[in-house]
Amino acid sequence: MTVGNRNIPISSNMQRRDLLKFMGAGAAAITVGGLPRVAFAQDKTVAFWATATLDIGEKWQEFASQAGVTPEFTDNGNDVGPVVARLAAGNANDLFDVGGLQGGAEKELARQGLIIPWDIAKIPNYEGVWQWAKDIPYLKHEGKQFGIPTVVNADSIIYRPDKLGKVDSYGVIFDPKLKGRVAMEDAWINSAVFAAMYLKESENQPIKEPGNLSESELGLVMEFLIKHKKDGQFRTFWNGWEQGVQLVANEEVDAMTGWEPIVYEGRKRGLQVEYAAPVEGYEGWGNNTVLLKGAGDRGTADAAHEFVNGLLAGFYGCELGKARGYLVPTDSNVAYAQAHPSEYAPEEVQKLGDHVKAKFGGKVYWQNCRPDNFQLYEEWWQKLRNA
Amino acid sequence: MKLPLSTLAGLMSAPALAIIAMGLAPLAVVVVWSFWAWDPSTYWIKPELSFAGYAGILEAGRWTVILSTFAKAFLTAAICLLIGFPTAYAVHFLASRRLAVVLLALMTIPFLTSYLIRSFSWRLVLGRTGVINTLLQDAGLTSAPIDWLLFSDFAVIVGLVASYLPFATFPLILAMQRLDPVAIAAARDLGAGFWTVQRTLILPLTISGVFAGFLFVFVMTLGSSTEVQMLGGAGASIVSVMINDVMRVANYPLAFAISTVVLAVVFGLVLLGNRAFGLSRLFEDRS
Repeated sequence: MTVGNRNIPISSNMQRRDLLKFMGAGAAAITVGGLPRVAFAQDKTVAFWATATLDIGEKWQEFASQAGVTPEFTDNGNDVGPVVARLAAGNANDLFDVGGLQGGAEKELARQGLIIPWDIAKIPNYEGVWQWAKDIPYLKHEGKQFGIPTVVNADSIIYRPDKLGKVDSYGVIFDPKLKGRVAMEDAWINSAVFAAMYLKESENQPIKEPGNLSESELGLVMEFLIKHKKDGQFRTFWNGWEQGVQLVANEEVDAMTGWEPIVYEGRKRGLQVEYAAPVEGYEGWGNNTVLLKGAGDRGTADAAHEFVNGLLAGFYGCELGKARGYLVPTDSNVAYAQAHPSEYAPEEVQKLGDHVKAKFGGKVYWQNCRPDNFQLYEEWWQKLRNA
Repeated sequence: MKLPLSTLAGLMSAPALAIIAMGLAPLAVVVVWSFWAWDPSTYWIKPELSFAGYAGILEAGRWTVILSTFAKAFLTAAICLLIGFPTAYAVHFLASRRLAVVLLALMTIPFLTSYLIRSFSWRLVLGRTGVINTLLQDAGLTSAPIDWLLFSDFAVIVGLVASYLPFATFPLILAMQRLDPVAIAAARDLGAGFWTVQRTLILPLTISGVFAGFLFVFVMTLGSSTEVQMLGGAGASIVSVMINDVMRVANYPLAFAISTVVLAVVFGLVLLGNRAFGLSRLFEDRS
């Protein structure tokens, strides 16, 4: 078959994929009132389906010229449940080559054959990834590399030192003296981990892995949260960036578990806000890239490897750090900034890297978007809501 | 003017198809899928009869969320009617034409902003350092911020009423426009006072508008989540928040079962309401 008058042969597989993409574009236009990104003029393209925060917008063009492969970015909505379902029972594997997901779902996806392992030999820049990022527990399944750590950070407590002095424990969140003056995030994926870390480290409760609680451990953690909720401990459970910022900025709470950028925003608004380094450790999180089975079927796996190699080459890390304060865990970022000081300040890039590295120098428990008992987590979260 | 049947069928076919394709078909799918089983190997559903979704509603207190959602929707709709009825009366009977336009615009303008912004603004009004607490403390009426103004059921109802009030007011204005002014004048000439006219004439003749307003607000509240998440207390829930939670763990039969229960109640309400209050009268030709 040929396309237009250019006489370019395309395979039947490509026809199907393009048709599906076209249909997907129509659906996207209907549901969100927008159109997906149009590919830049490059021979090799990779359909990258990831969390919106991994998108670098028009900078993909420069990325493409450096990496030699053009990403077509599509927001996956970030919620892992619908993403997994679309991979398992929908058409995601027909449309996309590479996925970008919150860490934890790799094992499940690999077990179902929805993602295929990376060949690290084809990703030379993987060598430069920091060892602790390579050691993230969800990246491998049965000895094979299914996830590449693309963005990492670690979360703890945002607090007001003018009200509380120095805070160095999650105990502040559960301190009855602060009844109604604290908050947690409205998501078990984070709040259950924070509570489990506190119970394990400071209350010596029998919890093995806060990111993957057994049935009895989960019961223990959630009963603890339910008790505190019933006692009126929490002012609210917050949702989303703006709500988090507002809680701090308008002095609704004195301490809450949350994301570090909220601290920076609070300071910008003239507040004295600090980010705690808790004795119980940080909650680490990673957004990992996975190779979708469809890429293997269509023969685009090599291009996908080149794309991921590009993500770790430095430019992407510098851009993501500058735009969002996110960290790609590799020294390539600093090297790139040093080679292009007019585009990215090397000292800023270094500072961001050192800051995140320091967090991971101590105790870290990893966030897990798909713990073994994930449906039980939801059930307990409903109980907490209704308590 | 009577149209030939073929012309009528031609004109109606496109909207009828649109309603079936975009309205009824997805709802039918939701109802059917609510009886299918979840398949852990595919994270999707499989066509095997299962009541697991409905059984799940009885677990983890989910049924209490459904009940409290209906209670919130009922309360919001009732408050909207209490405020909307006199508002509609003022717009239609008391205000000059120009003032009526201004009042309608004032009701509509907030809807040009996003519902997220509207809810968010209530946090700035009701919060510890918000407008109301500041005023109360400045006036010496309170010595410390009142906490329950925000992150409470009170705040949720305030947010919901503010969001959906126009949906109660506009059907009432529409219903009042259908009233015959001669009948009202006649009642007054015969000695009926203000409240008697309201009770025996205006309310009975606008009851279809009252029910339409109630229904609009009730249904929209059932589908809302932002107000609850932004203004409610720790972990506050409503049906749409609960469905989101369930979808996150890919428990589709449960999500569909919750939706089906809500749909059944709403359809039942529409049918009962139409029978009791003559909703369709609102769309009848006045001539």
